[in-house]
Formats: sequence, structure tokens, C-alpha cells
Amino acid sequence: MKLWAIIRREYKERVKSKGFVISTVLIPLLMSMTIIIPMLMGDRVEERRTVAVLDSEGRWFKDLKDIVAEQSGDGLELMAVELNGRSLEQGIQEVQDLVTQGTVNGGIVFDPDFMENGKLRFYVKSVAAGLASDSLRPAVNAVLRKARYAEAGISEDLTEYLLSYTDWERLTVSEEGDATARDERGVFGMAMTLIMMLYMMVILYGQQTLVGVIEEKTSRVVEVLLSSVPSSQMMLGKILGIGAAGLTQVAIWVLSLYLASTRGISIAGMTFDASVLSPFILVSFLLFFILGFMMYSALFAGVGALCNTIQEAQPFSTPIMMFIIIPMLMLTVVMQDPGGTLATVMSLIPMFTPVLMFIRVILETPPMWQVVLSWVLLLVAIVVFSRTAGKLFRVGILMHGAAPSWGTLLKVMRQSD
Amino acid sequence: MSHDPTGPVGEAVLEIRGLCKSYGKVHAVKNLSLSIPQGAIHGFLGPNGAGKTTTIRSIMNIVVPDGGEILFGGHPLDRQRLDRIGYLPEERGLYRKMTCLDQLVFLAELKSVPRSEARHKAEAWLERVGLSDWAGRKIDALSKGMQQKVQLASVFQFDPELVILDEPFSGLDPLNVEVLRDIIREENRRGCTIIFSTHMLPEAEKLCDSICLIEGGEVILEGDLAKVKRDFPLDSVKAAFVDGRDMPSGLPGVLRTERNEGAWSLILSEGADHQKLLDGLREEGALSLFSAHRPSLDEIFISAVRKRRGAAFATQEVAS
Repeated sequence: MKLWAIIRREYKERVKSKGFVISTVLIPLLMSMTIIIPMLMGDRVEERRTVAVLDSEGRWFKDLKDIVAEQSGDGLELMAVELNGRSLEQGIQEVQDLVTQGTVNGGIVFDPDFMENGKLRFYVKSVAAGLASDSLRPAVNAVLRKARYAEAGISEDLTEYLLSYTDWERLTVSEEGDATARDERGVFGMAMTLIMMLYMMVILYGQQTLVGVIEEKTSRVVEVLLSSVPSSQMMLGKILGIGAAGLTQVAIWVLSLYLASTRGISIAGMTFDASVLSPFILVSFLLFFILGFMMYSALFAGVGALCNTIQEAQPFSTPIMMFIIIPMLMLTVVMQDPGGTLATVMSLIPMFTPVLMFIRVILETPPMWQVVLSWVLLLVAIVVFSRTAGKLFRVGILMHGAAPSWGTLLKVMRQSD
Repeated sequence: MSHDPTGPVGEAVLEIRGLCKSYGKVHAVKNLSLSIPQGAIHGFLGPNGAGKTTTIRSIMNIVVPDGGEILFGGHPLDRQRLDRIGYLPEERGLYRKMTCLDQLVFLAELKSVPRSEARHKAEAWLERVGLSDWAGRKIDALSKGMQQKVQLASVFQFDPELVILDEPFSGLDPLNVEVLRDIIREENRRGCTIIFSTHMLPEAEKLCDSICLIEGGEVILEGDLAKVKRDFPLDSVKAAFVDGRDMPSGLPGVLRTERNEGAWSLILSEGADHQKLLDGLREEGALSLFSAHRPSLDEIFISAVRKRRGAAFATQEVAS
């Protein structure tokens, strides 16, 4: 089949090129660098968070230490500041010094009447370091409650019962009526990773399609090609071939990440944990990714068909980039009301579907017919865009420099292949 | 001439009826009709901008004509039938990063040849043009002459019924011209009809059975090469005196005389009487040469184009 021959040619030429091999190795390397370097630097500062505690009554520190150890593990360390006969002011001065010198990340000073008024002071050097107070506050609350329950004569067992936290289970309800437990943060993190991946691949390979089409114009084979296959088929073959090369690259990355994770090696702290995603989300992502990628490639191919040089194509490719950026900007709106009219309509527009419908699938599972419709519309868009690109290409190639008029373009669009 | 006149020439393999194509206000082809006999080597001649390439591109469905009909073997030329036509475009070239073999296989697949068969044929053709050792090398690594051989192989490799070559001789060195000429003759003997456009009229003269001459998008001369030449009036005579003396002026029916490699060319007016001229010359002295000069294709070409342009010019003047 001719289409198949064109796809194979495009695919082989790309996958066999040096650029493909280099970028397959280099891009993950560069990306992991951006993750590894902050982590190496972060190690020193973040991991050893110490808070100095001045407990003039000597009744709070031990309990607080126990609760903190129980709650945040090794993340937070408490250091007692002893008065040893000094005045409270001298003790406070020491806490402040420790904080300003950076020996500790924060300092707690219990009020001598803490039992009654519940007051304490929390010293920090910068706003950022103050984040520690979020994890300390529940622990300090618990310490105070425990002491007050004891004072009220409540038994230890009852105290434990009274102090226990609520246990939340989050469930997402779909239209079909079944409720499923989801690790929301894990799902959302994966979703954003996947969307970023789509975004990156579109930029990388969309440009390749654009360049490929422009190159084909200057290639001398183009006349033989056009005399053998309809131009739309040629264009579709090109888009699918280059697309398949792009997907091969992604597959290599994902597979190596997956293999590494199953062997317990984490690459730059990233592990591929598909288990947080339901099979439906995974399948729909694959479809949105592949179809979306092809659709954007077809748009880029159309731009390539109209232009003679890459410089000429720059201003035309900006609107296509907008099609990718707009849904990113709309993410928050869609997330607030994933089932709303605006979100529904926007997510059915093929140019926005890959990002917006996908995020809806993750957030609330829209009606199945909408998801399927979005796939169908994407497919239609791919065919329409690549046919258009093919026709534009045929005009562009024989125009010899002169830009085609709108009239000519319309006439060409009506012509059969 | 390679072609056997008693052979299968006759049936039109390709017929063009009333082809029109304009680019904006420029009429590239005007109501052009042509018929190419089966089994012929047909020269498609004309000056630059005559509409040759547009006609060929219309046949190959690269441009969509504004009007007219193209028949192949009596049927409208559709995509399926196009697969039986080999085409060498004027702007030649191959994918630079592909190996010779892959390239040929790919181009054959574009003509609906199954992949396995395409491979065998490609290998056979590489052998035939002497490039077997280069099958696995990228086109980039080949010399220009070798690239042209690969390209030629791609046009003929799938045993097409008709081959259209647009300016096949341009840019070839004499050795490669010879290779191309041999291939054309051989494939023609196999039964393949060949159409080629060219400016190199001596090549056309050596190869063609029939020609058509187009100018301004219209056919101005068409038919069997021998007949075209026969019908064209003999318009000059070559002559020389034994003692090498100059040609006298005032000879009957002579428009002008030109010295030409030790002899003289006598350009005659239309309808001049050769016998009278010979008698006149004899009276002047002993002749070492007197021969009626058969016009070359070059001369026919130039004269026909001039005649038509003159006529067009005159019509324009009358019109204004």
C-alpha cells in the first residue's frame, strides 16, 4: 500500500538519524538534571529541620517530642533549650540567637501560663522557614489538650480516644453511579506529567513535521511523489510517519523509566507509578496523546505547506502554539466546574480536546458519549487538516514563490485529488 | 532508428484532447490535442515556455488542467492507470539520506509494486546500470552521474507501458547520454512507449520515430519524423568549385550565400528550381560539390517557430 510505504520511509529516515539517537538520550538527561540539581542543593537545607523549644515549666517538651516523632518521623527535630538558672529573658535571647544564626529553623517559647492561656511564641528567620509551624500546630494543640484532659481527671484511654483524628476517605462518583477511591494527588500529579509530555512532544515533533514538509518542497522527489499518490495521502503518510517516530521516542523513555522503577531504581526521584491511574484513564490518555499529537502535527503540516522557508513559517506557527497554550490557561476554569457548559463545549473542540477532555476524565469522568465523541472529532480533524495540508502543498509547490490568493485556495480546496 | 515500422505502432497509447491550462492570465497550454502511437519513441519538442512541462504535468496529474481530456489506452487516465506510467521530472533528485536500494524499492512501491517484487526488480536494475556494489550506500555518497543512473532505473524498473521523460538529456555527460539512449532503445524494443521532451534536437533526431513541436501552448507540427522532414521544403544547397573560387552573386533563386567549412551554402527562395541553379553554376566553372541539403530538425524547429511567431505577430498587427 502506498500510504504504508510513505509512513515507513518517513519513520525509518527519522529513527535512523543521529538526531533521534542523541535527543532520546539527551532530553531525559537534561530533564533529570533540572530535578537532581535542586534536590542536591535542597538536601542540606530541608532535610534537617530543627526547632528549638524553650519550656520554662519543663512539662511540655517530652510530650511534644513524642507526638512530633509520631507524626512527622525524622522530618522535624526538636531541641530543648534549658534555662539552667538563667532568667526567662536570657532563655528567649538564646532561642532568638539560635534562629538568627541559622542553627535552628525555628524556635518555640511556651508561655509560663501555657496551661491556662495556651499562648506560645514561634520565632522564625524568614517567611519560608515558617512553613514548619503548619506541621507543629496540631502537635502543640494535642499536647495542651492532653494536659487539660489529665487535669480534668479523664483516663488515659479516654484521652487517646478523645484526641484521635478523623479519618477521611475520598471517593469520586461517576455518572454510572459507582464510587471509586482515588489517590487524588497521585492522579493529578500523573495527569500534569502526561499533559506536559504531550505539550513537549507537540512542540518538538510538530516543528519536525513543519520542517519536514518545507524540506519536501525543495526535495526533488516531490513531483514523482505527487504523480504517484494524492497529495493528501502523501501528507497523511508524512504526519503518521513522523508521529510514529515521536511516539517511539516517548515509548523508549516511558519503558526505561518503568523498567528502572520495577527494579527499585528511581531516576531523579521520578518513578513511573501507573497504578494510581485507572485503566480507563490510561487508555484515554494514550488515545488523547496519539490523536492530539497527530492533530497538531497536521496543523503544522498545513503551515509548512503554505511556506517556503522556516523563517516564513515562524509567524504562522504561533497561532498553533496558542491552541496548545489556551487549554493550559483554561485548566483552572475547567477544574472548578468540569461538568459545566463551558468546559463541555471547550473540551469538544478538537484543538483543545487533548488537554481539556483528558483533565475532565481525570476529575469527574464525563459521560461516555462525550469522551467518545471527542475522539471521533479528533479523528475527523486529523483527516480534514491533513487533506487541507495536502492540497495547500500541491498549490504551494507549483506556485513558484507567488503567494496564492484566497480565490485560488478556495478553488483548490474544491478540487478532488 | 530502433523502431521497426511494421511493429505495433498505430494504436494511440496516449491521447490528449483539447487540453487547457492557464496560470492566472498566462495561458500555458491552449486547446492542445495530441496522439502518441503505441510503441513509438516520441519527441516532444518546443522552445522554452512552450507548455511542454505543463502538458507533461497535466498527464501525470501533478497539475489539474482547466479543461480537456487525457486518455490512456482509450480510457480516461485515472490514478490506477497512472501506475503504469514512468515519469522522470525535469527537476530531478532523490532522497539524499536513503540507500540506493531503499530508494528504488520505495519508488516502485509508489507504483503499486509489491515490496518483495520491488526488491528483486531494484536489484536487477542496479545491476543493469552497474551500481550493484552501491546498493547499500546512501545517495549522498554517489557521484552525480551515478545518481542519475539510479533515477533512470527508478523510472523503468516497474516495466511501465509508457515512460515520460522531461528533458532527460540535460545535465548528462556524453557517456551518460549514451547510457540513457541505450536504455531508451532497449526498453522501447521491449514494448514500452516513450515520450521525451528535449531541447537537444540532434538527440531527438537520433532516437525519435515521431515528433510533435509545440509553441505558445499549441501544436504546430506533428507526425512521423521521416514524413515531417520530407514535407519540409528543401531550402538550401551545398556547393563548391574545384578551384575553390567564390560564389558569384545573382544566381537564379538564391536569396543569399554563406561560406560554410570550405564549401558554400546557398539559401534558396521558396519554389526555387534546383536544375536551373545547377545549370547556372556549371556555366561558372567545374563543380566539386553540389548537394541538396536535407534540413536538420534544428532548422525545421527554428523555421517553424519563426514562421508561427511571425504569423502571430502579423495577426496581432491586423487586429490592432
